[in-house]
Amino acid sequence: MTEQTVIPDLSKPEWRAQKTYSQNLADSVIKAMLPPLTPEEEARPFAKYYYEDIKQPDPAHYALMDEPMDPARAYGPEEINRLLDLEYLEKHEVEIGWCNLPNGAGYIANKNFYPGVTADMIDWWFAWHPLEDLRYRIWYPPQHAGIMLSPLDRARILDPSVPNREKNWGVVHNVTENCDCGFENIDIAFRSPADMGFDMEKFERVAATFAGGMGWAVAVNKCDDSITAPAIMCHIFYDVPGGLLHRTRFWMGYRFTVEGKPELCLPPGVSVPAANVQGLARHNVKEFTRFGDFLPRIYKEFGHSMYC
Amino acid sequence: MPIKLMAVSRRRPGLTRADYFRYIEHYHGTVARLERFKIDRYIQNHVIDGAFGVLSDTDHKNKVADRDGVVELYFSEFRDMIATLEPQGVTQSRANQDGKFFADEPNNIILMAEEVELPVPNPRPKFNPGLGEPGVGAVKVMQFIMRKPEVFPQDFHRLWRRAHDEALAASPYAQEMFRRIVASQRSRVNDNDAAARAHFRMVDPPVYDLEVSFWLDSMENVGAFRQYLEAIQASPLDFADWSQSFFLYTRPVRIIDDAPPKD
Repeated sequence: MTEQTVIPDLSKPEWRAQKTYSQNLADSVIKAMLPPLTPEEEARPFAKYYYEDIKQPDPAHYALMDEPMDPARAYGPEEINRLLDLEYLEKHEVEIGWCNLPNGAGYIANKNFYPGVTADMIDWWFAWHPLEDLRYRIWYPPQHAGIMLSPLDRARILDPSVPNREKNWGVVHNVTENCDCGFENIDIAFRSPADMGFDMEKFERVAATFAGGMGWAVAVNKCDDSITAPAIMCHIFYDVPGGLLHRTRFWMGYRFTVEGKPELCLPPGVSVPAANVQGLARHNVKEFTRFGDFLPRIYKEFGHSMYC
Repeated sequence: MPIKLMAVSRRRPGLTRADYFRYIEHYHGTVARLERFKIDRYIQNHVIDGAFGVLSDTDHKNKVADRDGVVELYFSEFRDMIATLEPQGVTQSRANQDGKFFADEPNNIILMAEEVELPVPNPRPKFNPGLGEPGVGAVKVMQFIMRKPEVFPQDFHRLWRRAHDEALAASPYAQEMFRRIVASQRSRVNDNDAAARAHFRMVDPPVYDLEVSFWLDSMENVGAFRQYLEAIQASPLDFADWSQSFFLYTRPVRIIDDAPPKD
């Protein structure tokens, strides 16, 4: 994490959006009710995307998340480099599906093709969208309620000396989101691909770009017995003719230790509930169907800057 | 890096401090050795002295303002910790049942944490049997720092690290005397602390995001910590509630530790 070198400019909405941690936690209860846009939000030039008809998933694709896949064909985050073996992926792996691993962890795989999308668009979007609640809400209005950055993370995102591809490395997105099992506050700590455990020599040859890290999720209406659940999230993108191929993997029940190693942290004998794994799998199909549909258009309008 | 469970306790009514220390070291420590389960390492820290809040406070802001002992239980991984706190086939472990004889249990503070070792300018250069535990020192200062609720946890740790580096740079006596520094950062695994709460039986405990341990050669050197403390509390970086923070001077006691002595 770089030192804070950017001076906040409170004349700009990207800086004015800053809330304290305690205020954001309190606000998340309201956000989870999906309130109408405020007059200030209505005036934002990208507000029109909030009112668009949302593209629905291909029914055949969505149906692949109806039943769990064979756990013998899934794997843990220790084998993340399997995502760099394209021939094996295409010939042998289950690319769309979910299950519980034998150790109880939740596993999700998904694959999307985005015509006309480039790696630069991905890098811009993942840096641009956490700056305001509305930017996150327009991604998938039915289930994306809000987002917040800490002051130091906001300064990094808005630091013009940090390349878009690297802006999120070490940054936490505090999102309020419904992954088909009710609204949760999810703190997603983004990491570089090297910190995810990728073999970087191979990564540079195979992958176009990446976004991922580790999240902690807990119900917005947290009570004393609420479970705070970890998950490792991986979105990896590959250049293909005509666009970008996107592979997603989630490992629910896993976290990264301070040394950066993935560790299962489920109590012995406990599994991530199947409903939560399937819920996130279905949510992922829906939000990234929308993503591929609107990213080229919004990038064309706003992709030149973090500000608008 | 192992995961660590810390419990910061006050002695139960009716015990002197000497009674308490004797009991936890010789009786409870023996129980823990006999029923080790998956504990990798168990350190007791017997409190010699300490202070809560800051001099400008007119009364104590802490929910708890006296502590007698800090235990540190180390596990290879989280699952081992759960297997020890909730052993299968055992209703209550002996160690669990023993707590009521020495601790004011509803008053416990727990912190589940991962350790990060920080550099010191002057680690002890050579073995000296007159200066306590080889390689570290006889006295361990344990500083528990409360995050301001408005500060994001990720910024709290970054700001503390900047303030720490600046405070150490401004404290020549501390630079000379700190033999080892370890920061214990609260893990989010701790958010599901029902098992730990059940084991240690605390009620509505305050939450600390950070504990920092400083090792010094002897009690005569703790002025070095005070120099550092004044510097970090004067930092313009706004991240800690110093009125709800505290520090303890302790004597570390090894109960379970398979590691060979250093030096």
